[in-house]
Amino acid sequence: MSSSGAKAQSSAAKLSLPVELLPSEVARIFTHIHPVLLLSAYYARFHSLVADPVHTLLSGILPLAITQILYAVLCLPATGSDKRPTLKKKLNAPKKVSSDNNLVSKVFTVFFALVLSLLSTPVLAAVQVLFGAPITTHLLHTLLGSAHIALLAAFPLIYVHGSDSAKWREIASAYSPADEIFGGSVGCLVGAWLGAVPIPLDWDREWQKWPVTIVTGAYMGYVAGKLIGGRLLKGKRIEFD
Amino acid sequence: MPGETIPKPIAGDNNSIAAQYARAKAAKDAADRKKVAAIMKENGLALQGDKAPQKTTLEKLYERKAGAFKREWCWVVGFFAWLFCIHASGIFFFTKGFLLTRLVLEEKSSCQEPPIELSSTFKGAGEPEAGCWHPKTFDKAVVIIIDALRYDFTVPFHNTTTNPAQAFHNALPFLYDTAVSEPHNAFLLPFIADPPTTTLQRLKGLTTGTLPTFIDAGSNFAGTAIEEDNLLMQLKDAGKRIAHLGDDTWTALFPGYFEEGISRAYDSFNVWDLHTVDNGVVEHLNPLLGKDKKGLWDVTIAHFLGVDHAGHRYGPNHPAMTAKLQQMDSVLRDVVAKLDDETLLVVMGDHGMDGKGDHGGESEDEVQAALWMYSKKGVFGRTDPTFTIPPATAKIRPVNQIDLVPTLALLLGLPIPFNNLGSPIEEAFVGKKGVAWQNLAAVARMTAAGIKRYQAAYYEARGMDESTIAGSPHALWSIAEQAMISGTNKEQRWKDSYATFSAYEAETLRICRSLWARFDVPSMLLGISILAAGVLALVLYANAHAEAGSTDPALIEELDRAELELELASFAKGELAEDEPQSRSFVLTALRGIGCAVGPVLFILTGEGLTHDLLGGLSVCGLLGGLFIELKGRDLLSNPFPSTFWGWLAVIFTVSQSIGYASNSYTIWEDSILLFFISTFGALGAISSLRQQRSADRTLGVYHSLAFIALGWVASYSKLCREEQMPYCKSTYYASATSSTSAPWQLIIPFTLAVFLPEVIKSYYSSSRSYEGFAPVWIGWALRGGLILSAVFWILDAADDGDWFPYLAAGRLKSLRVPIAQTIFASTVGAGTTAFGYAIPCVSISTTAPHGASSKDAQMKTQAGSTVTILGYANTHGARYFLLVTNILLAVLMVQKPMGGGAIALMTWQILSLLEIIDLNSLSTSPIGPIILALLGSFHFFKTGHQATLSSIQWESAFIPLHTIRYPWSPLLVALNTFGAHILAAAALPLIVLWKQKPKKKGILKAVASALAWHLAYYAVVSLATTMWAGWLRRHLMLYRIFSPKFMVASAVLLIVDVIGILVALAGVRWNTLSVAEVFGWA
Repeated sequence: MSSSGAKAQSSAAKLSLPVELLPSEVARIFTHIHPVLLLSAYYARFHSLVADPVHTLLSGILPLAITQILYAVLCLPATGSDKRPTLKKKLNAPKKVSSDNNLVSKVFTVFFALVLSLLSTPVLAAVQVLFGAPITTHLLHTLLGSAHIALLAAFPLIYVHGSDSAKWREIASAYSPADEIFGGSVGCLVGAWLGAVPIPLDWDREWQKWPVTIVTGAYMGYVAGKLIGGRLLKGKRIEFD
Repeated sequence: MPGETIPKPIAGDNNSIAAQYARAKAAKDAADRKKVAAIMKENGLALQGDKAPQKTTLEKLYERKAGAFKREWCWVVGFFAWLFCIHASGIFFFTKGFLLTRLVLEEKSSCQEPPIELSSTFKGAGEPEAGCWHPKTFDKAVVIIIDALRYDFTVPFHNTTTNPAQAFHNALPFLYDTAVSEPHNAFLLPFIADPPTTTLQRLKGLTTGTLPTFIDAGSNFAGTAIEEDNLLMQLKDAGKRIAHLGDDTWTALFPGYFEEGISRAYDSFNVWDLHTVDNGVVEHLNPLLGKDKKGLWDVTIAHFLGVDHAGHRYGPNHPAMTAKLQQMDSVLRDVVAKLDDETLLVVMGDHGMDGKGDHGGESEDEVQAALWMYSKKGVFGRTDPTFTIPPATAKIRPVNQIDLVPTLALLLGLPIPFNNLGSPIEEAFVGKKGVAWQNLAAVARMTAAGIKRYQAAYYEARGMDESTIAGSPHALWSIAEQAMISGTNKEQRWKDSYATFSAYEAETLRICRSLWARFDVPSMLLGISILAAGVLALVLYANAHAEAGSTDPALIEELDRAELELELASFAKGELAEDEPQSRSFVLTALRGIGCAVGPVLFILTGEGLTHDLLGGLSVCGLLGGLFIELKGRDLLSNPFPSTFWGWLAVIFTVSQSIGYASNSYTIWEDSILLFFISTFGALGAISSLRQQRSADRTLGVYHSLAFIALGWVASYSKLCREEQMPYCKSTYYASATSSTSAPWQLIIPFTLAVFLPEVIKSYYSSSRSYEGFAPVWIGWALRGGLILSAVFWILDAADDGDWFPYLAAGRLKSLRVPIAQTIFASTVGAGTTAFGYAIPCVSISTTAPHGASSKDAQMKTQAGSTVTILGYANTHGARYFLLVTNILLAVLMVQKPMGGGAIALMTWQILSLLEIIDLNSLSTSPIGPIILALLGSFHFFKTGHQATLSSIQWESAFIPLHTIRYPWSPLLVALNTFGAHILAAAALPLIVLWKQKPKKKGILKAVASALAWHLAYYAVVSLATTMWAGWLRRHLMLYRIFSPKFMVASAVLLIVDVIGILVALAGVRWNTLSVAEVFGWA
């Protein structure tokens, strides 16, 4: 399904490159801590999630947001910042000079990305409803689950790509080159999709209730997608034909 | 040639599209002919005259192409007809092995007519008061069923360190203790159930004394009430009053049998509730045993469910089970304490449970239940003193569950039910001292005679000669008869005759078991292999044709013309070789086998023997083998695995769903899963559309994808829930859950459809400027008229149901509305089909200046310089073919309830959106289109108020256009109602290929054949999977309720879509192509 997209590159005028992490040591380390942090926190909260999804999802939003913000600030190039972080690596000196500026713009970008990803929450909830989620009941469950998916899948993308419309069209058509961020987002959505699979089974387990499996799938898919996109298939594109 | 004039329009209707096109085209053709003439001259061919011969050449070429098309069409039809035979024979062989049938005989035993002369007369023989066929022992009985009471729950267990006791051990010691301490009052035995070990099946066995089979032919298939002779029926006939407490399965099996006021039925499906049923039974049982109410009943049946539910919920090794068994222990002690001397107490389990606490299968733990009989009369005995201690395991001295039937009947002085195959239990008849051999011989003889009588009647009803059945126990019968009279010692004589009668009974049971209660696994496997080979053949065929059918969409007019010239040139030289249609090679090979495949099947159907079955199966297998070898030789065997994302998606949708049918949950929630898949496709369609280069294409693609999702979602709110979906599902299809009429608000739906549906279709036509020719009349008037009539029909129907006009004579409204429905049918099926045959393509040709002509229209410049525009050119094939779909749409819509009509309309809209998505993303040769269409058909099957259950069939739809049942129309109408969505999807299938195709499109038939093969492949895989699962899970608890009906629906759908594919899709494509070619020439 994936190929390097040599054919596509020739047909489309200009195609984006995969996003590279910030060239710092912190970024390199934290990007490995990040999935472990997410999964272990998720695992720790799993029983409480099964017992009381609404409360647990609600109280989980803030820690998740902090984790994602940390990940974005420490590892990812913010939108509008130098698009070629590799260059920066070579010129180590100016890094400090622009740090003040950088901080302000980063704070702004984080805020901007947070607001937009929270705005995408109702859209994600609507998609779930269209796929068959209950609409008359469990609305809060769906919205809170969507908020988690938004923070996982949408927030890093917005942080990195801002409002670059050409890039967003690429992302919306799932034709962005694989990298950590895009891979994580696709993985998160595919995981949430697969999360619907065990719901109808008559095992009568508590964890089968809405939206536990969806959120679980989203978290696992996010981590898997992040690893696959960032390592195994970096730079590849999803080809349909 | 300068100065050449444009020829006159061809003869015929001046206003016909063909004439218009010919006139416009004449200018071009004139130039063509010049070239043709030049070519022919080059080749040294003499030209006779100026124009006539050249025209003939072109005509000849077209004629030849038309002939080739018709021949290829016949081969394609041949392939699909062959496939239908394969599917039918596969399903036939599986069904033959799977749905074992036992004839239910109407005969009933009667008190006055014993099956054999009584061996010794007694006072009052032939009267229930004294005993019908044998002196009775008890007046009254209390029958307590402890659901899932496994034998090892009741026997003591010695706790050792190596083998510690489990939670269920030693919790119910009462039965064992009484059997040991009061052997004349009680005995405890292992009680072996016949699988399937489900309560419903077990209760049938426990009351009729017969073996379970799939279909009890002759009984009401949909209903559950037992109609054959049984204990309760005999009780009722003898004037006994029966009280019932507990599990409501009894009231389903025996409606109207139980005394009102003292009986209480409880819901049996809530396995999470351990106590409601049991507490309710205890609460009502105690007063019945008391002095006040003792006189109100003769037999009391109490059915406890707590042990079974504890098993299902927790498994047997759980403290809840201990508590439950202890509760049962104390309940039984109370009952015994209150019991009087004339009352027999029977306690039994209807089946056991496996290690996890579930049941339904045939494992030892599941079939080993316990039986305990008790009375204060002291009449029970043992033939051997060591038998006083109940067996330590269920392997020792077990009795069959059906043995209870003759035992209870004879103890209570009733006739043994006619169909009984059980034998009397010796402990109950051998007497206190264990020496009443005469009594024992008498009951064994009586029971054996009953069995013999039943066997004779059964074989007679089946039209079989009993003596031809292998291992007939006739010999045993005569030996037993002999033993009765001969012999020196009286006691020895009775002993011997008891032994031989028992042997006769056991042997008969063995034979019957091998005849009825065993699935014919080889036949099932044969059916499954045929279906599997059919799937393989389909996929290979589809793949082979997909490659041939794909053409470059960017073919421009000029290229077409150049090609035509080349063709003309080589045709003139006589070089043009005709391609051999691939279907031909396929079918020719298959033809060799068709004779052997169909012939034997017909043989069997006419009632031939077993050898023919095998022959038929072998020939089908041989045919398939031969087919594949042939294919290999021809190098048609291409890689059957998909090469694109879309191809994989089609495979995932089909295969994952098919695997899911192995689980009852996924089968129950099939409609939600289909919505999930449909939405997934819509989302991916939107993503894919965003990849298009042109922004207009992107917008349209996303719009149609979102519309596709939204329409499916709206349709998903039309629901008819099946019982198993409760309480997570709310039915909306009818006015309420307990009604089968439409709610008043739903009557708005047909009118809404009449207003909007034609507009929606028009908008899709307009996008390619195809709302021309017949289309406005057809869609704007005929379809709308039909929809209005349909709406009026439902208003009249509601008026009739609701009695809105009480002053009208009864039946007046029906006599009004039936002709309305008949009019619609006549106009769609009769007039519509004929009109489709003669309809012109939906194009309009104008010679005026172009108004905003785009690539959707074709333009030709005449010599005078004015432009000829053909509106709707870009969708010539699709727009015309869709007219046929509107016919089918109206016919299907007519037989649906208003809510179902809405669903069908939404489906039509979804199909149109799907076609646009397919076209915009160039997916017309991908398998995804036909598969999504099949998903839509399956999805809307549920949305038109159906489920994969027999009870959801809307029988009343047969009466929409008819007053009475008329063959063959009534079954066809019910089929049209049930499978309407599948039929509409299959009818719309060619559109995947034809939509937005210009008239000169090449290889249309191949592409349609491929699409149809993919479409059928979906149903064939589903049918194969459900067949396999039904066969594999043949002893599953939910077989009757879930897997078997699903298998039946899938098989029916497969065969129906096979037929519709040929009769509508392929036939429609033939007419369509011929009609388009008549106007525009052959590609």
